[in-house]
Amino acid sequence: MSNDKEFLIISDLKKGFGEGETRQEVLQGINFKAAKGEMCVLLGPSGSGKSTLLNIIGGIDSCDSGTISIGGDTLTAMNEEALTQYRRKHLGYVFQLYNLIPNLNVKENIEVGAFLSDKPLDIDELLNVLGLYEHRHKLPNQLSGGQQQRVSIGRAIIKNPDILLCDEPTGALDYRTSKEILALIEDVNRKYGSTVIMVTHNEAIRGMSDHVIRLRDGVVRHDDYNTHKISAAELDW
Amino acid sequence: MEKKTRNPLGIRVLRELRGEWKKYAVIFIFLTLMIGFVSGMYVANNSMLIATERVKTEELREDGHFVLKEKADKDLIEDIETGDKVDVRAYYVWDAYGDITEEEYREAFRSGNYRERLQELYDEADRRAAEDYENAVGDYDLDDPYFRPVPVKVFENFNKEADEDIDGDGTRDSGIRVYINRDDIDLYCIMDGRPAETADEIMIDRMHADNRGIKTGDRISVNGEEFTVSGLAAFSNYATLHEKNTDMMFDALTFDVAMTTEEGWDRINAETRYEYAWLYENRPADVKEEKKQSDNFLKALITQAAFADNEIEDYVPEYANQAIQFAPEDFGSDKAMGGVLLNVLIIVLAFIFAITESNTIAREAPVIGTLRASGYTRRELTVNYMMAPLIVTIAGSVMGNILGYSYFKKVVVAMYYNSYSLPEYETVWTPDAFVKTTVIPVILMLVINFIIIRRKMRFSPLKFLRGDLKNSRRRKAVRLPDISFIRRFRLRIFLQNLPGYLMLFIGIGFVMIMLAMAVGMPNTLSYYQAHASEMMLADHQVILTSDHDEDGNAVTTSNPDAVKFSMEELLLVIDDSEESANTYGMEPGNRYAGIPADLKDGEVVISSALSGKFHIDPGDEIHMKDKYGYDSYDFTVADIIDFDGGIAVFMDNDSFNRIFDRDEGNYDGFFSDSEITDIDEDFIAAEVTSEDILKMAAQLDHSMGAYMLYFQYLCILLSAVLIFLLTKVIVERNEKSISMVKILGYTNSEVASLYLVTTTIVVIISEIITAFLSRIAMAEIWNNMLKRMDGYFPFVLSAQGLLRMIILVFLGYMIVMLIDFRRIRRIPMDEALKNME
Repeated sequence: MSNDKEFLIISDLKKGFGEGETRQEVLQGINFKAAKGEMCVLLGPSGSGKSTLLNIIGGIDSCDSGTISIGGDTLTAMNEEALTQYRRKHLGYVFQLYNLIPNLNVKENIEVGAFLSDKPLDIDELLNVLGLYEHRHKLPNQLSGGQQQRVSIGRAIIKNPDILLCDEPTGALDYRTSKEILALIEDVNRKYGSTVIMVTHNEAIRGMSDHVIRLRDGVVRHDDYNTHKISAAELDW
Repeated sequence: MEKKTRNPLGIRVLRELRGEWKKYAVIFIFLTLMIGFVSGMYVANNSMLIATERVKTEELREDGHFVLKEKADKDLIEDIETGDKVDVRAYYVWDAYGDITEEEYREAFRSGNYRERLQELYDEADRRAAEDYENAVGDYDLDDPYFRPVPVKVFENFNKEADEDIDGDGTRDSGIRVYINRDDIDLYCIMDGRPAETADEIMIDRMHADNRGIKTGDRISVNGEEFTVSGLAAFSNYATLHEKNTDMMFDALTFDVAMTTEEGWDRINAETRYEYAWLYENRPADVKEEKKQSDNFLKALITQAAFADNEIEDYVPEYANQAIQFAPEDFGSDKAMGGVLLNVLIIVLAFIFAITESNTIAREAPVIGTLRASGYTRRELTVNYMMAPLIVTIAGSVMGNILGYSYFKKVVVAMYYNSYSLPEYETVWTPDAFVKTTVIPVILMLVINFIIIRRKMRFSPLKFLRGDLKNSRRRKAVRLPDISFIRRFRLRIFLQNLPGYLMLFIGIGFVMIMLAMAVGMPNTLSYYQAHASEMMLADHQVILTSDHDEDGNAVTTSNPDAVKFSMEELLLVIDDSEESANTYGMEPGNRYAGIPADLKDGEVVISSALSGKFHIDPGDEIHMKDKYGYDSYDFTVADIIDFDGGIAVFMDNDSFNRIFDRDEGNYDGFFSDSEITDIDEDFIAAEVTSEDILKMAAQLDHSMGAYMLYFQYLCILLSAVLIFLLTKVIVERNEKSISMVKILGYTNSEVASLYLVTTTIVVIISEIITAFLSRIAMAEIWNNMLKRMDGYFPFVLSAQGLLRMIILVFLGYMIVMLIDFRRIRRIPMDEALKNME
């Protein structure tokens, strides 16, 4: 059984790549917990293991040892089929480079997410929230980077996921667009109550989070709660 | 001197070949087999053609032959050898005067004014003679101002047609045409044994012997006389065993050609066919000149034969002799068809290659952008991306040619030896094969890939770096109807891969045409075999030697099923072609051919086969003429009889006898659905049953039947390869998207249903459309094939046949689908994350 405060529990998570002399331990025993509905930011320099950690939480990569429990379900015990169902029911994913399907238009890209849910959000309403309604018939290559990232967020949240995983969602965007996207993620977190786990190397983003975890060389260096949370609009870097 | 660094891009090509070895191996094997087979076909054809040409000079093959009703005396032979005409006007006058009956003379003398009356009769005879002469002149162009005598050397080539009994059970197993040993014309190539040397030895055709399991040393019976087979030969004037030149198909199963000593020939109790072969004194330079010489020689022969009161029963110049020309023409059409099939396949493969390379270019866009930014030229990169397809095509061509000369040549030659009586051959180097199977495929591959890859390379380095390989005007999404998301998704896949699917459609169409032949041919043969009885007017057709005995009593039967008929074999003249057509005279309203009782003068009914072959409808006029006689006839088609068994024209027997100058009540035989047993054998010239009709189907089945099944398997393989290559492109192109939807939580089955169902639908729709189109195309090809033969039977591809074609291609697709499903399952989820690392 889980409670809302311990919605996500990661215990002694380890992951390495390669064999023999070339083997590199990317995660060397990660431990932390996240509460339901909180916005958790994973900070760290390149190579610190944050993306690997996110992929394991997302069920698209496996760990060597340790456990992950989400809402009482242990991910590390799941087979591939169960992991697929887990992603389908509980997760939304936002990537740095959007990963939209190039031959589907805006609305259809969002429908890719809606198809997986029994009770998806109203797509037209969501398009309005995302500011994409008038662009709904356009292909990804007709959109700006910021608009594409909005579509990507739309695709992730249309199924109203329990957890929204964001991997460097503003990494490819300019300052103004980045703030717009962060505001949108903040909005989603607040409006839909999704737990957001966001990987970033932008220190400023910690200001809008509830929970900040710093990684370095595959271990958690700091696990803090933000007592002076500010809105995305107030962020500056 | 500084050593110049080798272009490192070459390594990329090698790595591409190594990395995608499965794809390239499939294409290489396929190209090798296809090119190998076509190359083998060219080499075999060419070698065989040269061998058959060699036969012309080395084995003194005739320039033609004719058959006379009576033996020609020395004078007639000498006259014929002059190749000049005689004035036949006198013949017509003599003939017309001869037509004046005794009764007419008596009447003239009784009239009291006999001089005047006789003069009237003579005037009438003169008028008829002039009219007949004018008709002959018109029909055979006897007053051709360009006529030049064609001196020839004539050779006696007498033969007898008899029954061959192979198993010694006393019944006829086959027909046999026996010639006397000769050394001056129409020689032969001994394939086994030796020629007949004694009166009880016989040398027979190798093909017939193979088909019937006869070996040198075996005993056969000819019209009851026992002979030992001394050898097997390929006769130079019988490359195919056509019994008659008008036969639709050769018949190596129930027709044989043989040669024996003069004494042996005398032992055979059968009528002599007075066949004469000729050689031109001045060899024509080409077929055009040969035809001209033959036309002139025929004019001369007609007049000479008529003048000598003899009759020409058959006239076959070499260029029109099916037994000589069928095989080389078949080689030619095989080559043409093989060449076209190969080119179509190469074009399809070239487009598949080009689409694959475009896909690779899109995937490697940032690398290309970097290289372009570093100073590599567009040309260098275009050449680099063209290398893999070219290397595979050249390698396939080289290997194909090696196999063509070594292995496939033997396969094709074996196929030909299985159908034709061909002499021994020597493999000859065939530049044509190299050009058609190597130079042209490489050029096609080069040009198509160059155009497409060059076009893809036209973007600026910056665009490549950004991965933006679209036109400057951004592509807009096609608005789709408000259907379910899944359907729209699949439609998007379809639109995204439209060029690939177009190639798939063409590829499937191409396979379907081949399958239409592979499935349709046995279909047609089995239909023909199953409906053989319908291919005859009656189950039995008895042809009489005479309709009356020596005492003038009618030769008749008490069989209630029997219906009398008269028959003439005429030439139907349609545009520039002539078609042999049996013209029947029968009682109106008879049970075998529905001739209406109210046919007007000059009206006929025709068979549905004739109508179908030449698109003749009721109300149309047809023009016919005697085969080697002097008369021509114009008829109006009143109706069409449902009879697909032959090119036939029907009229009532009274009109028939009047038109063909026969005595009233004359007839040639009986049609009957039950066997006629009460006619003396002496009066029976021939009896035709459905067995004879089945000969052609049996021969076609024997020659091609077994290959058709292999051909079907080849088609499955071909369709599977084409579909495999295209779906590979589609899956590869969408790898990132597939990976992404997997991350989102789509199961493998759902992903497959999104990406594979579209292809499945395209395959099924393409199959259905092209199956019907291929049936139409094949029926047209079939009609064209049959136009060069006499007779007709329609191409049949039943609904089951169509279904079989669709299922066969779908089976090939199922295999590919399994491979694709495995391929989709193996796409890792981190594929979508690669650009983030």
